[in-house]
Amino acid sequence: MLKVKNLHATVGGKSILNGIDLEVKPGEIHAIMGPNGSGKSTLANVLAGRDGYEVTQGSVEYLGKDLLQLEPEERACEGIFLAFQYPVEIPGVSNMAMLKAAMNSMRKYHGEGEIKAGEFLKLIRQKADLVEMKHEFLKRAVNEGFSGGEKKRNEILQMAMLEPKLALLDETDSGLDIDALKIVSNGVNALRSPERAMVLVTHYQRLLDYIVPDYVHVLANGKIVKSGDKSLALELEAKGYSWIDGTDDAATAVQQAS
Amino acid sequence: MITANENQSWVTAHADVALTGANVAWLNHQRKSALAQFESVGLPGVRDEDWRYTNLRALKSNDYALSAASPLSIELAETANPRLVFVDGHLDVNASTGLSDSVTSLKDSLELIEAYFGSTLPKEPHGFTSLNTAYAHDGYVVHLKPGQVLDGVLEVVFVSQSADAVSHTRNLIITDANTQCTIVERHIGAHGTVYLNNVITEIIAGENAHIDHYKIQQESDDAFHMGGVFINQAKGSQVKNHNIALSGLVTRNDIYTNMLGQGAHMEMNGLVVGQGRQHIDNHTEVNHAVPNCTSDEYYKTVLDDHSRSVFRGRIIVAKDAQLTNADQQNNNLLLSKDAEADCKPQLEIYADDVKCSHGATMGQLDPVSLFYLKSRGINAEAANALLTFAFANEVIERVNVDSVRQELTQILAGELLSGLEELV
Repeated sequence: MLKVKNLHATVGGKSILNGIDLEVKPGEIHAIMGPNGSGKSTLANVLAGRDGYEVTQGSVEYLGKDLLQLEPEERACEGIFLAFQYPVEIPGVSNMAMLKAAMNSMRKYHGEGEIKAGEFLKLIRQKADLVEMKHEFLKRAVNEGFSGGEKKRNEILQMAMLEPKLALLDETDSGLDIDALKIVSNGVNALRSPERAMVLVTHYQRLLDYIVPDYVHVLANGKIVKSGDKSLALELEAKGYSWIDGTDDAATAVQQAS
Repeated sequence: MITANENQSWVTAHADVALTGANVAWLNHQRKSALAQFESVGLPGVRDEDWRYTNLRALKSNDYALSAASPLSIELAETANPRLVFVDGHLDVNASTGLSDSVTSLKDSLELIEAYFGSTLPKEPHGFTSLNTAYAHDGYVVHLKPGQVLDGVLEVVFVSQSADAVSHTRNLIITDANTQCTIVERHIGAHGTVYLNNVITEIIAGENAHIDHYKIQQESDDAFHMGGVFINQAKGSQVKNHNIALSGLVTRNDIYTNMLGQGAHMEMNGLVVGQGRQHIDNHTEVNHAVPNCTSDEYYKTVLDDHSRSVFRGRIIVAKDAQLTNADQQNNNLLLSKDAEADCKPQLEIYADDVKCSHGATMGQLDPVSLFYLKSRGINAEAANALLTFAFANEVIERVNVDSVRQELTQILAGELLSGLEELV
C-alpha cells in the first residue's frame, strides 16, 4: 500500500528526514516512535502533503501512484487521512459543514453523486456516538473552544466519517488524560480493518497499550534506527531513548568538539 | 477636480422640480441653506481628505435627473413582515404594507419632523448630504411614542429602476423614551442600470430606546450609492447599525453617532464584499460627548478581483467623557493581488480615564486552516470559499433577529459559496 524509499526532506533548509524506508501493507498498524525532533511528525506531514516541507531525495509510492505528485486534497481523496497533532480551529465553519464538504468533495473526485442530507445526518450522529461526542458539538465551529481531548476526539470522528485507507495519527495521544485516551483508542480500534492501514506517531508507549501495533519503528535523527514488534516499544519505555540515540549524541558531541 | 460649473449643473438640473413641502417655511429655510452650503463646497473630490481614496470621476461623468413616480417593475420576494416600497425615491403605496400612525412617509409627516429634520447631521456636511437636504423628496418616517414597541421587523425596500435617475431620500426614525424597533432597509436596483441613490437616514434615539437598524445594499453593479446614517443618542439608548454592502459600482456610507446621554451604547457592524471593480468607502464616526457610554465597532471586508475598499473609523472621546469604553475592529481579507483596502483608524481621546482599543488587519486566508480543509479532501476552491464565508459570516452572526440573520447568511452564501450553499 505504502512504500517509502530513502526519503529525505528539509524544512526551511534544515534537513529533518535523512533516508526513511518504510513499507506498510493493508490491515497493518505501524507505530513510529522517537525522541522530540527525530522527524516523526515531519514524516506524517510530508505524507499528507503539507506546505513548507521539501522532499530532496527518495520516493513514496502509494497504491501504485507517486504520492509526492499529488496535492493534499488529492491524497485525501485517494484515502490518506492525517489526524493532526494540533487540530486547527476554524471559526465560522461548523463541523457538519466541513465534513459534508469533505464527503461531497471526495465523492465528486470518485465520480459519485452528493450524499443525501438524511443519510449524512444519520452517519455523523452514529460516528459521534463512537467517540462519545455530544451531538451539539457537530453544529459548533470546527474545534473552536474545544478542549484538547475534544479536539483529538473530533479528529477521530472525522476519520470515522471519511473512512481512509491509510490513517496517519500524529501524536494523537498527546495532551490526553486517561479517560480521553481510552475513548480515542476505542474509536481508533473500531476502525481497524483488514483493508485499512494505520501509522501511529507517538512519543510514549502508553498509547500502544490501547492500540496494539503490528510493528514498531524507532526514529532518530531522521532515520529509522530500529524496527521490531510491539515488544520494542516496551523495551524503549524501560531503557529510554538514549538507548537508541546515545551513540548519535556521542557522535554529535565529537563533531561539535572538533 | 470639479469646476464650479459642474456643480452648478446639479443645481440647475433640479431647479424645475416641484419640491416636497414647497410652502413649508422651515423646510424651505433648511433647503436654502443646504443649497448655499453645496454651492460653496460642491461635490467632493480626491483633494478632500475624507475622499482621497474614492474617485468620483465615473459618477460625475454622467447626468442624472429626478425621475417621475412609476409603478414597481420588478417582483419582490414574499415577506411576512410589513414592508414599504420606494421606487426611484417615491413611495409606491400599492406595493407597500405597514403604513400606520407610527410608520408614515416623509411627505405626510412634515409637521412631525420639523424638530428633528437635519438635527443629526455633521456640522460640515459634504456635498451629497447638502444635496439631500436641499432636494429631499420622500422617505420613511418611524415615530414611536413613549413606551411604544414596533412589533416584528419593518422592511423598507428602495428600488432604483429608471436609468440615469437620482433620488434624494431622507428617512427619519424618531423614538421617544423606552421604545423599541427593528428596521431593515434594502437598497436594490435593476440589473445593468446606472443611477445615483443618495439616501440619508436620521435616527433620533430617545432615552433607553432600543433600535436595530439594518442597511443591506445590493444595488445594480453600475450604480452609485451615497448613503448616510446619522444618529443622536439619548441617555441609556442602545442602537445597533448593521451596514452590509454587497454590490454597486461606487458606494460611500457615512455612519455617525453622537452619544449625548450617559449610559448609551452603540454597536456598528459592517461587512463589505467587493468584486469586479467595485469601490466601497465606509466612514464611521463615534462621538463620545458624555461620560459612561460604550461603543463597539466591527467591520470586515472581503475583496476580490480589482475591488477596493476604504474604512475610516473615527472615535472622538470628549474631555468630560470619562469612563468611555470604545472598541473598534477592522479586518480586511484580500483575495486578489489587484484588490486594495485602505484602512484609517482615527482615535481622538481628550479624556484620561477611558478604555479605547482598536485593531486592524490586512491579509490572506490562513494557510494552516487551508491545509486542514484540504487534508480532508476538500478541493482548493471549496476550501477558499468556506474560509472566506466563515470570515465574513462573523459579522452576520452579530445579527440578533433570527429571520434577518438567516436571510443574510443565505445571501452571503450565494455570494461566496457558489455550489456549496447547502452547507449553511
